[in-house]
Amino acid sequence: MTLLAHGVGSRTDLPIPIGFALYGAGAAILASFAVLLLFWRAPHLGGADSGRPLPTGLQRVLDSAGLRRGLQAVALLVTAFVVLAALGGPAETSRNLGPWVLFVTFWVGIVPASLLLGPVWRVANPLRLLHRLLRPLGPAAPGAHPLPALGLWPAAGSLLVFVWLELVYPHRSEPITVAVFVLAYAAVHLALAQWFGEGWFAAGDGFEAYSTLIARLSPWGRRSDGRLVVRNPLATAMATPAQPGLAALVMVLLGSTAFDGLTRTVWWQTGPGSANDWFSGTVGLLLSIGLVAGLYVLGTRLSGRLAGQDRAVQPGRYAATVIPIALGYTVAHYFSLLVLDGQTTWILLSNPFGTDGVDLFGTYGNRVDLTAVGADVIALVQVGAIITGHVVGVVLAHERALLSARRARASDQLPLVLVMVVFTLGGLGLLFGF
Amino acid sequence: MTMRPARLSHALAASALVLVLPLAGCAGTDAPADDDGSASSSAPAPSGASPTEDAGAATTPPAASGTRIEVQVTGGQSSGDTGRVPVAAGEQVTLAITSDAADEVHVHGYDLTADLVPGTPAEITFDATIPGVFEVELHEAGTVLLTLQVS
Repeated sequence: MTLLAHGVGSRTDLPIPIGFALYGAGAAILASFAVLLLFWRAPHLGGADSGRPLPTGLQRVLDSAGLRRGLQAVALLVTAFVVLAALGGPAETSRNLGPWVLFVTFWVGIVPASLLLGPVWRVANPLRLLHRLLRPLGPAAPGAHPLPALGLWPAAGSLLVFVWLELVYPHRSEPITVAVFVLAYAAVHLALAQWFGEGWFAAGDGFEAYSTLIARLSPWGRRSDGRLVVRNPLATAMATPAQPGLAALVMVLLGSTAFDGLTRTVWWQTGPGSANDWFSGTVGLLLSIGLVAGLYVLGTRLSGRLAGQDRAVQPGRYAATVIPIALGYTVAHYFSLLVLDGQTTWILLSNPFGTDGVDLFGTYGNRVDLTAVGADVIALVQVGAIITGHVVGVVLAHERALLSARRARASDQLPLVLVMVVFTLGGLGLLFGF
Repeated sequence: MTMRPARLSHALAASALVLVLPLAGCAGTDAPADDDGSASSSAPAPSGASPTEDAGAATTPPAASGTRIEVQVTGGQSSGDTGRVPVAAGEQVTLAITSDAADEVHVHGYDLTADLVPGTPAEITFDATIPGVFEVELHEAGTVLLTLQVS
């Protein structure tokens, strides 16, 4: 029904005012050099062992199998309900709960939830519960052996499939698409988990990996001795294990969000994307991801070359420092979707199957208030998120360089910082609409 | 060693201020009177009345200050005021769509629809009070006729 860039939605954001774009760009460049030249010269963010532990009793509850199974059961029931509503509810996207829950409440909502509470989808992933029930039916994880070597590459592939569905597939917003996708996703990942073992979900379930990645910037962390701690989110981000495919996962997120922004520009809508078909979308999505990944690899390798580091390890080593930039892009592009069109979920929840006269919570007659957040506030959040992500990213990259070499020169870090500046100016440019 | 975190937090706080101040200033200059987000833009409001009076007045004088957007659809191709059409917030907008095929036109966000009868212009008139970018789309054909940019 709707042909908007995102899966669903009734509106997109206005271009940010030129003043916002210019001030933002200036602030990003200024902050980058301030970090390089004025800040600390020795690593001092706490490492994987830092943080203030939570009380043991609280940790016992949070880590308990009972809590996890309970949350997973709740998530399973909600998922089954949403699939039923997608199949049995009204056929129009605007009146069907399925697309709004998947593309807005879940996919966008997972970001603030993980940022505030930690890796929520790892704890509540309903597929983990189903896997526990299905596991005894087959041989015990015959293919678990190569999983560590794959790292997060399967998750990057899994997320690429989802962002393609969300941003490119022409029938993405139809309820039947949502139902088929959720069921197929569950079937594929349960089969893969049967082969690879339960470790598959952390490595290959894109939603779980996404939640875990964003949670790297939450105030909650796990110390190397297993204790849950409260600590500086920057320390948690710094302690991200350098798994293979981490950089690929971050680049899929950054590149796909950049593509979403691109499809909202007049240039795309009247130029390369005017056909509005799966071909132009697929090429655009892959080129966007390829472009940001190419720039990132170039920047990290050049920095490594200047610093005399092994160039091959550089992209993996700095991947976690780009998470804040990807998060900044995500907030900038999806904040208004969650707070404005996200209201639709709560309206449709009152009558999930479109039955005459049903109004469970008295909200079914409500209309989405598209003026709940003004255009100025949206623009401020967008620019603020991009700039904050940039500053945190540059700080993390600086710290990472100091950890890699005690006497790291500021000039060695310049190529990566310049690439980050390009990401940020590009992000602001997309918001401005060029 | 104990000095370092304190110095860092000061530096971070200072740089955060540097970042926020120009943005805040910019927001202030951009929209001097953002009462409701509805009629605060640089719209050339002729009566210069408050938003409530403005909404009442908008229905009485026939489209004197409003924007008229005309689109023709022939053989699945749209022509006329297509592409991105800017409209000032609060302005009265009249969409006039003429199609050679029966369809339904839908203004997203405002959620307004009108049936298209072949050869007969269909008109939708409304006050553009919601800022944002909205698609005007043909339901059956699925084509986007134009995007309305209300700011």
